[in-house]
Amino acid sequence: MIESPIRQASVVRGGNRDGTVNHSGGSRARFQDPLKLIPRVLRKLYTEWLRMTYPFAAMGSKVSIHHTCFIDRKNAHRIKLGKDIRIEKDTCLGLSVSPEEQGEPVIVIDDNCVIHWRTQIGAKNRIHLERDVIVAQDVLIVDQNHEYEDTTIPIGDQGFTKGGTIRIGQGSYIGHGSAIICSRGELVLGRNCVVAAHAVVTRSAPPYSVLSGNPAMIVRQFDPVKQAWVLGSVRSAES
Amino acid sequence: MQDQNKRRPFPDPLKLFPRVLTKMYSTWVSATYPFASIGRRVSLHFTSNVSRQRAPRISLGDSVHLLEQVWLNVATDDPTGEPTIVIDDGCSIGIGTIISGKNRIHLEREVLVGQQVVIQDHNHAYEDIDVPIIKQGITKGGRIRIGEGSWIGRGAAILCSRGELVIGHHCVVSANSVVMRSIPDYSVVSGAPAMIIRQYDPTARTWRMGQLRGTGVADSEISSSALPFDRNAEAMAKLTVRG
Repeated sequence: MIESPIRQASVVRGGNRDGTVNHSGGSRARFQDPLKLIPRVLRKLYTEWLRMTYPFAAMGSKVSIHHTCFIDRKNAHRIKLGKDIRIEKDTCLGLSVSPEEQGEPVIVIDDNCVIHWRTQIGAKNRIHLERDVIVAQDVLIVDQNHEYEDTTIPIGDQGFTKGGTIRIGQGSYIGHGSAIICSRGELVLGRNCVVAAHAVVTRSAPPYSVLSGNPAMIVRQFDPVKQAWVLGSVRSAES
Repeated sequence: MQDQNKRRPFPDPLKLFPRVLTKMYSTWVSATYPFASIGRRVSLHFTSNVSRQRAPRISLGDSVHLLEQVWLNVATDDPTGEPTIVIDDGCSIGIGTIISGKNRIHLEREVLVGQQVVIQDHNHAYEDIDVPIIKQGITKGGRIRIGEGSWIGRGAAILCSRGELVIGHHCVVSANSVVMRSIPDYSVVSGAPAMIIRQYDPTARTWRMGQLRGTGVADSEISSSALPFDRNAEAMAKLTVRG
């Protein structure tokens, strides 16, 4: 279904996959800095190490995880990774479940997802990134929060709230510095949603919406009747 | 106790390692990368990320400092043409900042950029609903210019989807604000989207709360008539001070 546009777009998309572009430039910059080989090798080795020794629920082929990522081995059996995933520097996949607990995977990342630098994913119940999702830098995705209702003890000692579940629809784009926080129930972002930079998403959004602000509002949406993008929220599209 | 106070504080000797690495990396990058232009005393932290293949579209001035994990991304494959990212003399780019330029991002002299700032003159295209956004490429985008002596606070986002976004001279962008429109000279902006909360009053020669009348935020037109003093004279004075 999406075969032909991929090829065209991969030429346009430019620097989003730095270092992996085969394009040979002018006469001056034909090759990449050879020093960049060191982190690439480290990354490759670390990914192989993860594949061999971590008990992931699943881990597809061509996964690439940067060696500075934080993944806890004790909880790795609750993480499920698809194919062709790239996880960049300093990303944290944190789980606040006890290591003994068995059950469904808590963090599910489907095929072709990209998670950029310093993104924090904190899961307790379930965080599901469907296929082809881009998560930009410094994003926070958490499905629980710190408990604070007891006024007599510090919040740090109160543990976590029950929380909800988060599902981010396929082909979505989560912008730089945004936060997706679900304190209860289910938060679902539909297909091809765009979360603008620094938005704070606390509620679900239908497919093909652009969310912006704090709290995030729908600022643009695809109108299936007019077959066009319109400003503001389309009532009929909400379901 | 008194002896301890008298002891001359010196930095942790362990800090020498990153300093040496940074120095070596800066020398390596300055010597081997094909930048459009590169000044003297440029310092790039060894964790900063600049692609060698894209370096012909990057121009760095004298005494530019890039701190930890700064990413200068040129979002075009074309190695020819005028520089896409231009950072003038004396700029300091804070930890974790991302500057992603497709058309042109110009930081004028002595701009201070805080931590985890994103400056981006394009964005991901999303209009085609049948294709995942990851495969749709990027938008045409606009151009960004940040005026001399400005300060961009921590976590701010400066995004330009079309046209030209100009942040004037000596502006302050507060932490976590999102700038999507041009800002006149000598303003303090805050919030998402960023609004002017303070401005320099050239007649009273003081900073005033709120926005002054007649200096509205207008795209790609900045009123330079209301300047408190002659910009050229000031620039000349600075040059003479620097020698």
